[in-house]
Amino acid sequence: MTAVVDATDLEKRYGETVALSGASLSVESGEVFGLIGPNGAGKTTLVRALTGTTEPDTGTARILGESPAAVDRDRLGVLPQEFSPPARLSARELLSYYAGLYDDPRDPDDVLADVGLVDAGETWYEDLSGGQQRRVCVGSALVNDPDLLFLDEPTTGIDPAGRRTVWGLIEDLAADGTTVVLTTHDMAEAERLADRVGLLADGSLVAQGTPEALVRDHGGSSRLTIETAADPAAFADLEYPVERPNQGRGRSPDSAVVVRDVDPAAIGTVVDYLEARDIEYTELSWAEPDLEDVYLELADTTERERTDRLGGGDGGTGESDLAQAGETA
Amino acid sequence: MGRVRAETSAGWRSFVRRRTAVFFTFFFPVILIVIFGALIRTDPAGGGLFTEPAAFYVPGYLAVVVLFTPLSRMGSEVARHREGSRFEKLATTPLTRGEWLLAQTVVNAAIIGLASLLILGLVILLTGAEIVFSPLLVPYVLVGVVCFCGVGAMLGSYTDSQDGAVAASNGIGLPLLFLSETFVSLEQLPGWFEPLVNLSPLTYFARGVRAATYSGSETPAVAGVDPALANLAILAVLAVVAFALGARSIPQTD
Repeated sequence: MTAVVDATDLEKRYGETVALSGASLSVESGEVFGLIGPNGAGKTTLVRALTGTTEPDTGTARILGESPAAVDRDRLGVLPQEFSPPARLSARELLSYYAGLYDDPRDPDDVLADVGLVDAGETWYEDLSGGQQRRVCVGSALVNDPDLLFLDEPTTGIDPAGRRTVWGLIEDLAADGTTVVLTTHDMAEAERLADRVGLLADGSLVAQGTPEALVRDHGGSSRLTIETAADPAAFADLEYPVERPNQGRGRSPDSAVVVRDVDPAAIGTVVDYLEARDIEYTELSWAEPDLEDVYLELADTTERERTDRLGGGDGGTGESDLAQAGETA
Repeated sequence: MGRVRAETSAGWRSFVRRRTAVFFTFFFPVILIVIFGALIRTDPAGGGLFTEPAAFYVPGYLAVVVLFTPLSRMGSEVARHREGSRFEKLATTPLTRGEWLLAQTVVNAAIIGLASLLILGLVILLTGAEIVFSPLLVPYVLVGVVCFCGVGAMLGSYTDSQDGAVAASNGIGLPLLFLSETFVSLEQLPGWFEPLVNLSPLTYFARGVRAATYSGSETPAVAGVDPALANLAILAVLAVVAFALGARSIPQTD
């Protein structure tokens, strides 16, 4: 396999703000790489450093075997995060416009069909819905049939049906060998589309691996969530670990109790326990750990490390154990 | 050429679909001619500001669109592109900054060409100006547009918003318009101001257009060369410099 994207120790500061702090990643040909992370983690800066629209202070980046500034633009497709094309061109005109900037573009009508906007082709961009606008923007990154595609939050503002259209499109591109780097806040999107996922926090990739490996290494155990007003002490005799979700930080409501490590076949024993002790509950749900658990766990850990550092604790160097665990995942 | 054509087409469509922008682009010079040319009128025999024959002021009326339209349009266009991350997008396509500016310049040249025809027609109709229809008018307008599109691109690049770009273009355009031998002749200004007048690119536009269109022009030759041609050459050099600096100033990275 060949590294289509190869970045080493990228650093970027904006004044006192550290946007990238030693970010390194490698993306192989034909791979879909998902970048996840909290707002301000450095995802967009990393994409800009890789596409040549910002210059890192230190570190090296190469895409398609060249420096980002020197790469053949006909092979590159980019959707910036906050992209707003000319408002009074129709969807078809916009795709024709961007297609006209390349030497060997695709038929704009085909791209329009790919993003599911054939019926809205003659509508001015400013009159399209937010989701349709974003799909036009996605289309603008596809008009040159790129070998390497960067999509910065491609489905933000798109309704579920439109999102699935874009997902299907990305899956088709990947199946045809296009290398895709996408940033997203949608964990389901990352889990569905990405061959590998990298979690960016405080400008560093604190973990990367396949979604399955990340979930296995960082996702924790299964959750049986019981919505109840009962005190967790009432569960003291239960044979499984019980916890209250972090106030407002976990995935379960604050009024819930989470029972860990319950096999689906053993849920009945928990129900028997509740009934035997007259513990009232309104809802009971079971879930396997997923990428969102990984995100919450790693982002939370990074936040704690940062707080420790700011508070004068020994907190380490930021090269946490997480990074090592992620790399081996 | 295909890239410039695509950018030009998009720029032209975007402009003509902004009706307010289209209206005021043409209304501004028209209202100026109506006020100065038809209401205030010139008084060659008397005193005051407008003491020259009507044809003397033709370069001034043309300068209104040759100067102001590129400054304000390019300034706000660059700011609009920056705010919509359009330069970030374009930087990842084969379109270069020079090609982008060239396309915008072509759009401006078409708009200003039409506005100039309108101005010439109105000046003759409303003020009775007797002008020579020199073919040099065409290169003067085109080269002037190139020059001020470059300056407008710089204004848009170095200001931080559309509002800022428009304010800057007005702040720079208005003094240039009146202190470049357009409406106010050199004799009406203090002697020490002359070197500053010579720094304005618009001065060479005004001197050259006057030499080419006004039979009573007393525009001096430059190094023995016909003033209509010499001023065009000077303006062309300034246009090349302004275009290059304007293209270079367009943000390609953050």
